[in-house]
Amino acid sequence: MDIVIWTLLIATALLILSPIVFMFTASLMPARDIVKMPYRWIPEELYLDNYAQAIKGNDGSYIYPRNILNSFIVAGIVSVTTVLLSALTGYGLAKFPFKGRNLVFLLIMATMMIPFEAIMIPLYLVATSLNIQNTYIGLILPFLTNAFGIFLMRQYLITFPDEILDAARIDGSGELSIFWRIILPNSAPAVATLAILTFRSQWDNLLWPLLISQSEEMKTIPLYIVKFAMEKHTNEGAMMAAASIASIPILILFITLSKYFVSGASLYSSRKG
Amino acid sequence: MNRRSLFVMFLCLIIPISLLVGKTIELQFWTHEDPNRTLIENRYIEEFQKMYPNVVIKRVTQSSTKIQELVLTAFAANQGPDIFNMSIEDEYAYIVNQRVAPVNYEAAGYENKEALINAYLPGTLDPVVFEGEIYGLPLEITNWCILLNKKVFRDAGLDPEKDYPKTWEEMVEVSEKLTIREGQIITRRGFDFRYPYYLVAFMPMVEQLGGKLISDDGKTAIVNDEAWLKFLDFMAAWGPNGLNLGSPTYKNARSLFNMDNNDIGMCTTGLYQLARIKADNPAFYDSREWMVVPFPQFENAVNYVPAHYYGHYYMVNAQKPKENQEMAWKFIAFMLSHPEEYLEKVAIIQPTKELLESDTFKNYPYSDVFISDLEKSTVVYFSEYSAKIQSLIKEAVESVMLSNVSSRDALNTLRRKVQEVLDEQY
Amino acid sequence: MKRILKKGIEHKKARWGWFFVLPSLAFFAVFSFYPIVNALYTSLFRKRLLSLRPPTFIGLENYEYLLKSPDFWNSIKATLIFTIGTFIPILVFSLLLASFIMSRKRFQKFFQMAFYSPAVLSSVVAAAIWLLILDPRGLANTGANFLLGTKGIDYKWLASANMVRFSTILVYFWKYIGYFTIIYITGLASIPQSLHEAAMIDGANGWKDFWHITIPLLKPTTVLVSIMSMLQCLKTFSTQYLFTQSGAPLEPINVITLNIYNTAIRDHNIGRASAMSIILFIIMLFFTWLQFKASRSGGEVDYM
Repeated sequence: MDIVIWTLLIATALLILSPIVFMFTASLMPARDIVKMPYRWIPEELYLDNYAQAIKGNDGSYIYPRNILNSFIVAGIVSVTTVLLSALTGYGLAKFPFKGRNLVFLLIMATMMIPFEAIMIPLYLVATSLNIQNTYIGLILPFLTNAFGIFLMRQYLITFPDEILDAARIDGSGELSIFWRIILPNSAPAVATLAILTFRSQWDNLLWPLLISQSEEMKTIPLYIVKFAMEKHTNEGAMMAAASIASIPILILFITLSKYFVSGASLYSSRKG
Repeated sequence: MNRRSLFVMFLCLIIPISLLVGKTIELQFWTHEDPNRTLIENRYIEEFQKMYPNVVIKRVTQSSTKIQELVLTAFAANQGPDIFNMSIEDEYAYIVNQRVAPVNYEAAGYENKEALINAYLPGTLDPVVFEGEIYGLPLEITNWCILLNKKVFRDAGLDPEKDYPKTWEEMVEVSEKLTIREGQIITRRGFDFRYPYYLVAFMPMVEQLGGKLISDDGKTAIVNDEAWLKFLDFMAAWGPNGLNLGSPTYKNARSLFNMDNNDIGMCTTGLYQLARIKADNPAFYDSREWMVVPFPQFENAVNYVPAHYYGHYYMVNAQKPKENQEMAWKFIAFMLSHPEEYLEKVAIIQPTKELLESDTFKNYPYSDVFISDLEKSTVVYFSEYSAKIQSLIKEAVESVMLSNVSSRDALNTLRRKVQEVLDEQY
Repeated sequence: MKRILKKGIEHKKARWGWFFVLPSLAFFAVFSFYPIVNALYTSLFRKRLLSLRPPTFIGLENYEYLLKSPDFWNSIKATLIFTIGTFIPILVFSLLLASFIMSRKRFQKFFQMAFYSPAVLSSVVAAAIWLLILDPRGLANTGANFLLGTKGIDYKWLASANMVRFSTILVYFWKYIGYFTIIYITGLASIPQSLHEAAMIDGANGWKDFWHITIPLLKPTTVLVSIMSMLQCLKTFSTQYLFTQSGAPLEPINVITLNIYNTAIRDHNIGRASAMSIILFIIMLFFTWLQFKASRSGGEVDYM
């Protein structure tokens, strides 16, 4: 029985990892070898042309590095603002009873139900009326915070010991100072998890940049990959190279900080009612 | 001369010059990706900016599918680019909704409308004429023929010069001989269609059999059911559930062709592909192991119908200030004043009379095949809803090819949906 | 005196509560509430994206059209098939995998990370990889032929209607199985060991213990997983979008979000697209309400 379970676990792990391994090995092969049947997992030689083509772009403009930078900037800033705003809001919802608090909480949760396609055109019109299309602000603004983050922080902060807060108040600390110097530093696990999950989610954002980034310099990684995939000169190897380049930063983040990715899933489920 | 008078002289020079130079005009120029064209147009931009120092032109390329979405959303927010181009089926809605401006004849260097019309091959400006005004200048008029790889033919024991398919029935036979499969999986296709361009490359097949998309009075969808059914049956037989000669889910044929990888024998494409082969695979290009043949006709075709031609027209945003529009037309005309370079370097045809009579054109390989089909062809169907109608045809063909829907059912669905579009209930 | 003091403190707290909450509310007002209200408003008009003319008011006509439209019902069908076809396997397998992992003394972290890794990749990357794997000459056919002992059969992953549905479900399953496995692991870990020991003493062997103790106590987790995955599936877009852009047939996988996108961007019919979005919004609200209700009622499970 034991052996069966081990076999099943290992087989499943291999199956699940194989597409990722495929992406990396295919990126190192010329396109004609990728489609040869059966697939040879180990490339015969390290064919780096694919990476060169992905980075250079089909028009030789080397725009991919810039797009990667854009993704970092946007995902990074969104993570920071999301953490700050979610903590602020979550704290308010968790520790300050006020009339209508439940209604506010429900309203915020309801925003999670809004499908992005429903609001993408009105949002686009808002963005153009603020004249922020094709700018970093335009990419960042609609994602300053989100309901999931607020929910996460609220869950976490509900169990924060009131005595500490009251003691600080008696000592004369102002509310904001309490937030900044007591709440935030002591919410490290939730903050870290939220930051990482937000970063990953923004890294993945396709629809909004599709609408708002109109010039090559302002595109983000998913846009580059989609554009690259549609171009006639792109072959399978170059595609996988572009995909690998897009995945390496996030995979490195994952492996080094896996604790927070993993606990992200479990933080959501540990509801204490 | 003392310092003060020098300074005064300096001022006297600077001020008038700055008045002359005037405010900067920035033009946003969006177009689809084509590395060969990008090279020459960037050069034109430099030259133009030297001629007009107060003009700055920002050129942005998008893939040909994405550009429709981007131009659309930009215009929806009243923030469209100054200059753009798309294929006419996608551009027409902008004309009808008055988002683009009529040609400024003077700025474009023509005496008047008649002079402009006379410069071009008759009929090639018709797609951009609306209520008597002309709304664009042609970047290219393209029609498609069949490009074939001679080596693949010989590998299958055929002689490309003699055995190339002249009818669709022959196309099936020849493809059978050229196709290599491993079990059901195709590793070399003989020919495959140019999915998803149904209005350009598939409608002619229906029309060869006597069918029409829309009745002449524009009110009824689908004319001549028998022709349509024959076409749908043909496609079903071509696909994975029939003879398994090809399918929309394989990589498109024209992308594979240039690499000369022994995975495709023939594809449907335009003259511009020849320039791409030259750029992508000079050895293959120089070997001349390829040739162009006319668009096949059904054996019992009622009409001779080659692939429809389509055009890309440069258009100018009507919502921009007058100075922008004027400069835009000037720049467009400047770019288009190099038709021979466009032909040589990008292999696209501007349908000016001058070009078509030039030696450059006559000496271009296989230009005669393309022109012969072009002269017999008509413009692709375009209207405000052509994008939607094309996707409906796509659904019909895919359902018979991939989902085992019967031709009759697919046709009835198609008729119902296209009729809806026509009735503008849609 | 004490009462007045207390009231004062409460009042102060309430003010601070609003202060902390206001920035987000303002943000949501502009970037969530306004757009959805705008979409609701637009759904009552016939409006074309490029037209410069003012849109025509048609009341609920867009909704009427949609509820009678076979094309829209096809989208609902496609979305339901995708949702149910995804969340049931995810539910079953994530529980199984979680219990397998928990039963091992070592390598727990390795397995969790291995299963979770696809969730870390962007969906565009995932689609690009799978498009190659599902190509007729790709790994999927090779693997399937090997496993099923057939030779050279093309399983038409992206070509036949049923297979393409299966393929989208497969990609989603691959991407999220790890995430939900971890949720179950947390759920399993929260069952006190003492209960298992007590059952063992009572003579319940492994399987009985699993069936009568573990599964009932996992009810809240199960509800959480099933409704979370359902919501994720209702929002799905990139996989279907990227597959159809690469040649896969539209009809079998024309989920509601894709239909909305095409109606707005390809057909320029923003009025009807807005109506579809409102309908989707209502569907999602309904499922979320279900989630809150179910998790509340299942919150207290009696350990006796």
